[in-house]
Amino acid sequence: MQTCPCCSNQPFSNCCQPIIAGEIAPTAEALVRSRYAAFVVRDLDHVQHTHAPEISDDFNRAEAERLAEECEWLGLHIHSAKELHDQAEVAFVVKFRRDQKVISKGAISKFRKYDGHWLFVSSKPAPQIEHLGRQKVGRNEACHCNSGRKFKKCCGNLAEAR
Amino acid sequence: MAKHFQCTACGKCCYGQLPLTWKDAFANVGRFPLCFAWTPVQKGSKDFALASKIGATVTLPNRLEIAILIMPLAYIPSSYPCPALGENNLCKIHDNKPSRCKAMPFYPYREEKFQAELLVPKKDWGCDTSSNAPIIFQEGKIMSRKDFDQEREELLEQVPLLKRYTEYMQKYSYSFVGSLRGKIKGSVVTSLSSFLTATKSPHAKEIAQQQLPILHEYAAKTAEDIKWSDFHKNYVIWAKEMSYLAR
Repeated sequence: MQTCPCCSNQPFSNCCQPIIAGEIAPTAEALVRSRYAAFVVRDLDHVQHTHAPEISDDFNRAEAERLAEECEWLGLHIHSAKELHDQAEVAFVVKFRRDQKVISKGAISKFRKYDGHWLFVSSKPAPQIEHLGRQKVGRNEACHCNSGRKFKKCCGNLAEAR
Repeated sequence: MAKHFQCTACGKCCYGQLPLTWKDAFANVGRFPLCFAWTPVQKGSKDFALASKIGATVTLPNRLEIAILIMPLAYIPSSYPCPALGENNLCKIHDNKPSRCKAMPFYPYREEKFQAELLVPKKDWGCDTSSNAPIIFQEGKIMSRKDFDQEREELLEQVPLLKRYTEYMQKYSYSFVGSLRGKIKGSVVTSLSSFLTATKSPHAKEIAQQQLPILHEYAAKTAEDIKWSDFHKNYVIWAKEMSYLAR
């Protein structure tokens, strides 16, 4: 069984896979998860198709394709999700490794429901929640990125260098 | 004070990065590796008023207003010659060379009255500034101004495109615009793909098809040179983006 890359601990086939394939995301949070998972599995049609119509031309697909390829995706942490009628706001942290650096990016994204489909509207950075996605891990424990090395020799070390 | 100047065709100014107008960048997309340079100009600077007019003004996260010059750029390491520099140091595209080259030694990104400061040749350049050379600048005025005016006009024509680009970067790359804050000197570069997306260019595919081999060429040229590893990295990542757009 392939676990879903969105960190839900569910099987991929019961979680983001069907949404990436075109099924309706039941919540805005589910859409954040499926859009993240789409970067991991490099299926960016899903990301492109879930932009709100007024911003769909703004998606820099070429850059997104490059980022999807360059980054090693280390995890998604949903901080909070609020929905009211056809509007939603989700705060989350994405963690990835790029250029040998581990980076956490927090964001608050807005979504709107169009004909029953949640679509991405806008996003702003939220550095204040970035620490929340980090797991507490001892310096001598195995690194959470599954490298097999100790944390202090792996991401812990790189995080300090940053 | 009268300033004398005569180009001796030494070719020394044909090295390194070259700011272009978008018109020239577009015309040379199959010649130069392209990107955009963002240079902040602080409010106290004497260049602020003009920079606001030909570039953009933004309010930074700390509520400080700055002007930004946004220049399409031939992104070439300073020790590399212009790809159009031929043998005998002559320009291979002289009749159609970019406005930036034609207007040398003047620089219409600054007000006319400040041009005198720019007329000091760099150390190893061969410009003739002796009294034998013709007077090109006097009492705050440029004597022969056709090329200066031409470049300035192109800079003014492209303002709506640059404004759209700035709005796009503010909306989608908030942290990028914020990063200009601490930049008192120097500039930050952004990709051609971001400009093409922001301005919804109808020519994106053909531009990418012509730009891709140039980026590959420069990536290969800089691959073994640690001094230019930043340039190399950018050529490689931009080539990835262009190869997607070129499909």
